[in-house]
Amino acid sequence: MARPAVILVGADKGGVGKTTVARTLIDYFGAHQTPTRAFDTEAPRGTLKRFHPELTEVVDVTSVSDQMKIFDTLGSADAKVTVIDVRAGLLSSTLQALTDIGFLESAKKGQITFAVFHILGSSIASLQEIAETARVVGDANYFLVKNFINNTTFFEWDPATYNSYFKKIKGAEEITIPKLNEMAYEQVEVASVPFVSFIGNKGAKGEPANNSFVLRGYVRHWLGNVWGEFDRVKLVDLVSPKIESNVRQVAG
Amino acid sequence: MAFRSSITIVASPRPRVGKTLLARLLTDFHLHEGRLVTAFDLNAGERTLAQFLPEKTTTASVHNTRGQMALFDHLIASEDTTKVIDLGHESFTQFFSVAQQIDFIEEARRRSIAVAILFTITPDQTSVDAYRGLRVHFATATLAPVHNELLGPGLHRDKYPLVTGGPGVVRMPALAPGLRRYIERPPFSFADSSIGEAAAMPADTRSELQRWLRRIFLEFRELDLRILLADLRSSIQFGSGT
Repeated sequence: MARPAVILVGADKGGVGKTTVARTLIDYFGAHQTPTRAFDTEAPRGTLKRFHPELTEVVDVTSVSDQMKIFDTLGSADAKVTVIDVRAGLLSSTLQALTDIGFLESAKKGQITFAVFHILGSSIASLQEIAETARVVGDANYFLVKNFINNTTFFEWDPATYNSYFKKIKGAEEITIPKLNEMAYEQVEVASVPFVSFIGNKGAKGEPANNSFVLRGYVRHWLGNVWGEFDRVKLVDLVSPKIESNVRQVAG
Repeated sequence: MAFRSSITIVASPRPRVGKTLLARLLTDFHLHEGRLVTAFDLNAGERTLAQFLPEKTTTASVHNTRGQMALFDHLIASEDTTKVIDLGHESFTQFFSVAQQIDFIEEARRRSIAVAILFTITPDQTSVDAYRGLRVHFATATLAPVHNELLGPGLHRDKYPLVTGGPGVVRMPALAPGLRRYIERPPFSFADSSIGEAAAMPADTRSELQRWLRRIFLEFRELDLRILLADLRSSIQFGSGT
């Protein structure tokens, strides 16, 4: 049996689009027919669960019982990939907890595939966070995600400073999430459906919706670019080497 | 695939090359052929098309998302109406950029709507590059260069290669200067069977205008056939490939 994969999506501050990235990942694996489950740590009520209610469970990642719920079921769950949307500010402590329960050790031994998506904000504090997480992630597949979805500008970043942090993590890769048209983004929020459902003009229960063709087009184009980034870093190969990776047309 | 209706985009990145006149002629041609037509005026300034065809024209803009939604959602709506777009030069880049992002041509094809681009050719490099870009990015649309003879002899035609199997150059013959004053003052419809009567046009002038119009309408009919032919060809290719 293929080894399970855990993807941690985190940021050390709120509002950087962490849940949006988690949503694109769930859609991406869905398009690749890779069974996926998700945990939303925005207890008591999570944003991720609103978009993917069937796949998502809201948990408190700092509680032992919920840690058991996530990690003790990795081998037995139907889902091959587990996406964990870590609440803002909890990335370092979550990684520490993973170290404490021996999870990172299992990842190091190759029993589990482990990846971290670290969503970057626009401030230097966010860069300092890289140094802190670098200390614990070890051999995890580490992706630094520059998220421009809300038109974040990275003005405050001096490239030399950024690179000095970036290089601290062995094998870290950079992913860029492009900007999405504001109205399109808002309409997906209002519809509270996965991006692929919005593109396919479907409601939450698969019923026909009446979304604008223009907005659907913007979302399709944007999601295609995001998935292009995931293809580029060979994300599917990472979690499931055998599956054909170019299925972006599913978004259409 | 049998096309149910068509969208024709009259375009050029240059101002004052006769786009609005061409859009008027095309709209009136479809009306003359007994079709339901809606024209879209995408000129930021005078809205000349809307002045000439107020009942048939919707003013539109692509410079904000709401405008884009109003335009493109309407264009691909399920109705058997022929649509003509007078694309102002200032909207050229934005229109085609959005169209490309949202896969407009493919969506139209899925809905059995044929899309044609009438591109007024001029010698400048901006237009040559724009035409080349359309050939590359909108390969499934019918792209037809238009030679407006009023702009000169068209020695630059070879800069605008024709698409294999696509339409030839659509010729827009120059109208005698004395006639222009009649057609450039709204209201004026080329589709009107009593053409020119309202404008108090002398009989010989009227017959000259009708001759000019017949030549242009012949070009449009030829273009219609080309679109139909391209449709048949793609149907045959589709059929033999399955």
